[in-house]
Amino acid sequence: MTKLMAVLGVCYALIAVTDATPLVAQDRDSLRITEMERRMEAVAREIERLRLGRDVVEADSTVQGLGPAASRVYLVDRGVSLGGYGEILYENFASEAQNGTVVGAGDTFDALRAILYVGYKFNERLLFNSEIEVEHADEIGLEFAYLDYQVSDDVGLRAGLLLAPLGLINELHEPPVFLGTERPVTESRIIPTTWRENGVGVFGRTGAISWRAYLMGSFDGAGFGSSGLRGGRQKGSRALAEDLGVAARVDYTATPGLILGGSAFRGETGQGRQVAGADVGGRVLVWDLHADYGARGWDLRGLVAGASVEDVSALNQLGGLTGADGIGSRLLGWYVQAGYDLLRSTSSTHELIPYLRYEQVDTQRRVATGFTADPTNDLTVTSLGVAWKPVVQVVMKLGYQLHSNAADTGVNQLNVQLGWLF
Amino acid sequence: MAILRPARAIAAAAVVAASLAPAVASAQTLTQDEALELAFPSADFERRTAYLDEEMLSSAARRAAPDVPIETGVVTYYVARSGGQSLGVAYFDVHRVRTLPEVLMVVVGLDDRILRVESVSFHEPPEYRAPVGWLRQFSDGGLDEDLSLKGRIANITGATLTAGAASRAVRRSLALHSVIDPLGEGRE
Repeated sequence: MTKLMAVLGVCYALIAVTDATPLVAQDRDSLRITEMERRMEAVAREIERLRLGRDVVEADSTVQGLGPAASRVYLVDRGVSLGGYGEILYENFASEAQNGTVVGAGDTFDALRAILYVGYKFNERLLFNSEIEVEHADEIGLEFAYLDYQVSDDVGLRAGLLLAPLGLINELHEPPVFLGTERPVTESRIIPTTWRENGVGVFGRTGAISWRAYLMGSFDGAGFGSSGLRGGRQKGSRALAEDLGVAARVDYTATPGLILGGSAFRGETGQGRQVAGADVGGRVLVWDLHADYGARGWDLRGLVAGASVEDVSALNQLGGLTGADGIGSRLLGWYVQAGYDLLRSTSSTHELIPYLRYEQVDTQRRVATGFTADPTNDLTVTSLGVAWKPVVQVVMKLGYQLHSNAADTGVNQLNVQLGWLF
Repeated sequence: MAILRPARAIAAAAVVAASLAPAVASAQTLTQDEALELAFPSADFERRTAYLDEEMLSSAARRAAPDVPIETGVVTYYVARSGGQSLGVAYFDVHRVRTLPEVLMVVVGLDDRILRVESVSFHEPPEYRAPVGWLRQFSDGGLDEDLSLKGRIANITGATLTAGAASRAVRRSLALHSVIDPLGEGRE
């Protein structure tokens, strides 16, 4: 600053002494132009620094005696990150079931979900992320809440209430992200979205391969039922931890937009309980293989998921289940879906995506000896509809679902969904 | 007997964590110098600032796309040179992803097409960061309709906000480049 003042002083002195001659006037103009250019450059640099952030522009300097790279942590912008999503769902049920029986399913209009994501970045490597959910307008839940520590650019550690890294929907369930007014049945009953438990794990990416592996709370097998594993979720709430499980996932991005992957969970579910004096194991394996393609207007997706449950007789006893209400020892489901943006080739920024999804699920593919399978759990759902996105984060879907099952009691339904994401 | 009793499992997790801990940590954020060096190793850089008037801003906005905002008329860019020859121009675009900002370096070649796009700084959770392979889709892209998520640029599953923000940043940089025309005669 002192040097700058000295230079300016000399400039003014020169201007004062030589103001009388045209030549000197030219010099004075030149000096003024130079000074204006210097000031403009200083302003431009300041604008750049403010826009890009100090961690980008100034991280070549050192802080607190650390080298440039190590000192970046002191320069990073820190703070709260907010986001959210939500969906309102109207369901209009047919008056007759598949077999012509009159049914009395009442139509519903539900503020199904309103979610707030809250994150906080402590420094360049350590962050907190959470999802706080209000379901049906009056139920509050915590869907995830974890700390991430980024060990390197490619590997991180994660601990807290974690989403099980299985399937396509469990981790990515915002309405604008998937087609259909409702989540696939496979990813509700076999992969029980939203499936979350407390745990620790590692995650990372190596080239085109991303992966996650968690040690996390297991199911409580006493909550399983004939319609799937959903009731076994403990959701991290005073969860029994006599048995833990391992969940892992690998995805391969074959080309931008195309993901091929698989995931699995394995763990026992007896949670220390006994039947007739013997420990209940209740080992469960849940797995899936999936493919997802989103490019050039197409949204294509396919997934197959299965589960096997051991010791179902004991688990049935724990849950007081008999007859056709027994837990399936084998579960299997799959779906394929396709959608295409009809406005892709227009100048509109909107998207209009007709879609079709076909799905088969059987949550009692096999049952324990002495139990029977409920034919209503062997079902097929065909969903067709259209999704309109005025912007990529907002969607309105109109869909019709054709439900059929082995008992001929499926009930079709018309759905309207409004969803958002920010 | 459970296959994963807590004590054993936690011990295994501790071993995994311990094995990862010594990994050499590298920063997620690049500096401008590092980013420029990645794009043009050993080149010299001239830092320039363009001051756009209303007409130039309107022209850039028209060229970018209706959903690509151009909010500043003060644009700083870096011209890479080697041996007296221009190699390309680098722009640093800052934009909001969800709540927090990202800085992308968009490098334009002598043919006014994308040479490289690099994520310089990303403050949202890292799993939302665009993979390097995804950013490569922009390479050799020009300012045409195909260079968008409705065109040949695939979305990022699970990171649609990142994909949208990056696509807009690339189009914005190309539009500004076409108006500023930093490598042409008598321009700047």
